[in-house]
Amino acid sequence: MISKSAIQNLIDKLGAKNVLHEQEDLITFGYDATPEIQYLPDVVVFPTESEHVVEVVNFAREEGLPIVPRGSGTGLSGGSVAARGGIVLCLTRLNRILEIDEENLTATAQAGVVTLDFFDAVMAKGLFYPPDPGSQKISTLGGNIAEDAGGLRGLKYGVTRDYVMALNGVLGDGLTFTTGGKSVKDVAGYALKDLLVGSEGTLGIITEATFKLIPPPQAKRTLLAYFRDTRTAGQAVANIIAAKIIPSTLEIMDNATIRCVEGYAKIGLPLEMAALLLIEVDGHHAAVVEEADDVRAVLERVGAAEIHEAADTEHANQLAAARRTALSALARVSPTTLLEDATVPRSRLAETFDEIERLSEKFQLKVGTFGHAGDGNLHPTVLCDERNRDEMERAHAFYHELYDKVLAWGGTVSGEHGIGLAKKDYLERQVGAGGVNIMRRIKRSFDPHGVLNPGKIFNDEATEETRG
Amino acid sequence: MAEKQCLGNFPLADEPNYEGMLQCMRCGFCLPTCPTYVLTGRERSSPRGRVALAKAVADDQIDFTGALKEESFFCLDCRACSTSCPSGVHAGQVMEACRNQAHEAFPLTGAVRKFREFVLQRMLPSPDLLETSMLPARLYQKLGIQWLIRHSHILKLGPEWMTKAEGMMPELHPPLRPQLPEVIPAEGEQRGRVAFFLGCIMTLMYPEVSRQTVKVLTSQGFEVITPKEQKCCGAPHLNEGDRETTRSLARFNLDLFMELEVDAIVTDCAGCGASLKEYEELLEESGEHDKLALFHKRIKDISEFLAEQGLRTYNLKPVEKVVTYHEPCHLCHAQGVSKQPRDLIKAIPGIDFRELNEASWCCGSAATFSLKYTGESQQILDRKLENIQATGAELLVTANPGCHLQLAWGLKQAGMPQEVVHITELLGMATG
Repeated sequence: MISKSAIQNLIDKLGAKNVLHEQEDLITFGYDATPEIQYLPDVVVFPTESEHVVEVVNFAREEGLPIVPRGSGTGLSGGSVAARGGIVLCLTRLNRILEIDEENLTATAQAGVVTLDFFDAVMAKGLFYPPDPGSQKISTLGGNIAEDAGGLRGLKYGVTRDYVMALNGVLGDGLTFTTGGKSVKDVAGYALKDLLVGSEGTLGIITEATFKLIPPPQAKRTLLAYFRDTRTAGQAVANIIAAKIIPSTLEIMDNATIRCVEGYAKIGLPLEMAALLLIEVDGHHAAVVEEADDVRAVLERVGAAEIHEAADTEHANQLAAARRTALSALARVSPTTLLEDATVPRSRLAETFDEIERLSEKFQLKVGTFGHAGDGNLHPTVLCDERNRDEMERAHAFYHELYDKVLAWGGTVSGEHGIGLAKKDYLERQVGAGGVNIMRRIKRSFDPHGVLNPGKIFNDEATEETRG
Repeated sequence: MAEKQCLGNFPLADEPNYEGMLQCMRCGFCLPTCPTYVLTGRERSSPRGRVALAKAVADDQIDFTGALKEESFFCLDCRACSTSCPSGVHAGQVMEACRNQAHEAFPLTGAVRKFREFVLQRMLPSPDLLETSMLPARLYQKLGIQWLIRHSHILKLGPEWMTKAEGMMPELHPPLRPQLPEVIPAEGEQRGRVAFFLGCIMTLMYPEVSRQTVKVLTSQGFEVITPKEQKCCGAPHLNEGDRETTRSLARFNLDLFMELEVDAIVTDCAGCGASLKEYEELLEESGEHDKLALFHKRIKDISEFLAEQGLRTYNLKPVEKVVTYHEPCHLCHAQGVSKQPRDLIKAIPGIDFRELNEASWCCGSAATFSLKYTGESQQILDRKLENIQATGAELLVTANPGCHLQLAWGLKQAGMPQEVVHITELLGMATG
């Protein structure tokens, strides 16, 4: 428990408006978008200047309270939830875009800027920031960096990491850091920024970042392919990649997902089909025409039931927007949606679909699968009810067994959502005890007092989880 | 209902639907669409947060606290979150149910309670009492006073709400309801027969707008039946958290209108339309599913109805105006009617239509919100005014009396030249 005088101390530093501690605020800052996870922080603070972050970190160390950095709370692995209480450091009020540098093709923004606002601001200057996670309308850049968020354009354009050039922030001992810069090349010492990207708030609190921007593609074409079985859809993805075509987007939705998304978006998706692929190719006009034709040829050869093309940009945008709602739309049909983030080498996609189908039968579960098929990144989502303990156990058993296969195929337990609280057990299965130990050592050097988001990604050496 | 067990820590039966709250998977897609979250950045003032709080009460995690009461009234009930929610959560309805709970958890006493009961249970349900026993202008102000007394210990209200209420009052004409003949024949070739649901605010404050609605309907070839006995739709009661009176009003209007042989029941008030369309859910326990479903099917906003029937344009006169359109929340979010009004406006010859940025963002009126939370309401309104300014329009078209009051007042205050008209007034200009 935090004392009254400690809260007053925070109010003196940040102002009353930026310190919340009423029960109702603690409850509503006690979750993100991860199911089954809710913990109450002791206090929620909103820095409005980078210096506030240093003050809060120093305060936390003195008080012995953990700090959990948070953006808009859209994470899918529990990373921004205060599992051990303490301080939720909400960065949404550090939300200024500081510079768009048209000479160097970079932009610098504070951590709390909303991803889509940033995208729109640079687009207004004729520049392109490709990472587009499903929650881009509200997710923050800081959160995207901490989780190394992906998105629909990952296949061709990469993920958040590929655009981070420099980071400013605060370490666990209150030291501020700057790493990277606007230079296109930089091999001076360890690539600290690469350690910080995807560190889920355990190594440092990012307050500001500089991003690489690129010129936007001149043309784009959007294809929709329907399939009578998911295996063929998976095969189609593998064949497109094997044909050395890199679409900007190559997304899959199975029948359950199609039905839920159509139920919300009402854009005429095929309710009877087993799966669909949403494919976008972009780039120079001539190249786009050629690539679209090549994709179409692959789809015809593999036996797609139907192939359609988006009539215009508006239709194409509608399709992409609809795809972004997949996870939330699946929640229409069940009280709980338990989602995973398994990623496999793309040649294994068809087998992965078979495995998902086999396991959902074995464990008698309703599963909807969608994802960034082109990245081999699937989100098999169990549609369940958290009040049904037996069903929840079967759901976890389903993932346990699925990950056996995913890891055996050289895949990963998380493509883009992070480990957080939800997937700690799986991490060790993937990287081994040695791998986890190296991570612990790295954390100690960045955060010697262990105040930054403790208990996330892996358990501390000494303490097993106690709060629950 | 006393014998019924309440859900969790809710003090009263008639709780928000638990399955509906469980449907929220907390993706946060609603956050950027919620005016009060955008204003405060406070999670508990967001749809996701409000549902989480209601669920915490249902799960025995917290009591029905003052903060939840405050959130339930601070919610604009604009339903923008419903439109944005892929999971089908309706945070607005959850908050409406919480307002009802709030009166049980924090009961009013003495004169304030009597006054609220008088307004909601006696005056509003009785059209005669509404029109004769109290001047409409005073009614609106008294509603504000009633609220002020009830909430003054929580919110530090300045005196500006009173000035605002007075300033918002449009030029008042005699109420329309007693003047309208029960049956008005169609002009030209008759295309159908409709019942007209004439809302309280329309008849009291905008009688000349509804007169245009009737004129447009008849000139479009529809016979118009306006039953004199019709009562308030119940929206103010639902809004203030009096679900019992809402149900009895709904019951009355349902029976009255279902006796009429009409093709549709048309209203020109988005708030009434949304409320009427919710009777089906509100009276679900009566078991009259077929009757309720048919009633629901017949309820049409005037834009929805005319767009569906097809506008007869051969006799329309040109209106040479630059026009933009503000979407009432209770039309676009609560009823999903968004394209139709634009299509109608564009069908009028001579119109130069300019799309309004963030057209479906609330104007900050939200029933009595604009008087309860004057400061917040003003901030929401300013955002709207900026967008209106950018269109360069001469006329601002809308379709709901609450928006109409707020926008006309805001434009006047800001010294902006736009005139606010209801869509049927615009169609009326073209009808001549």
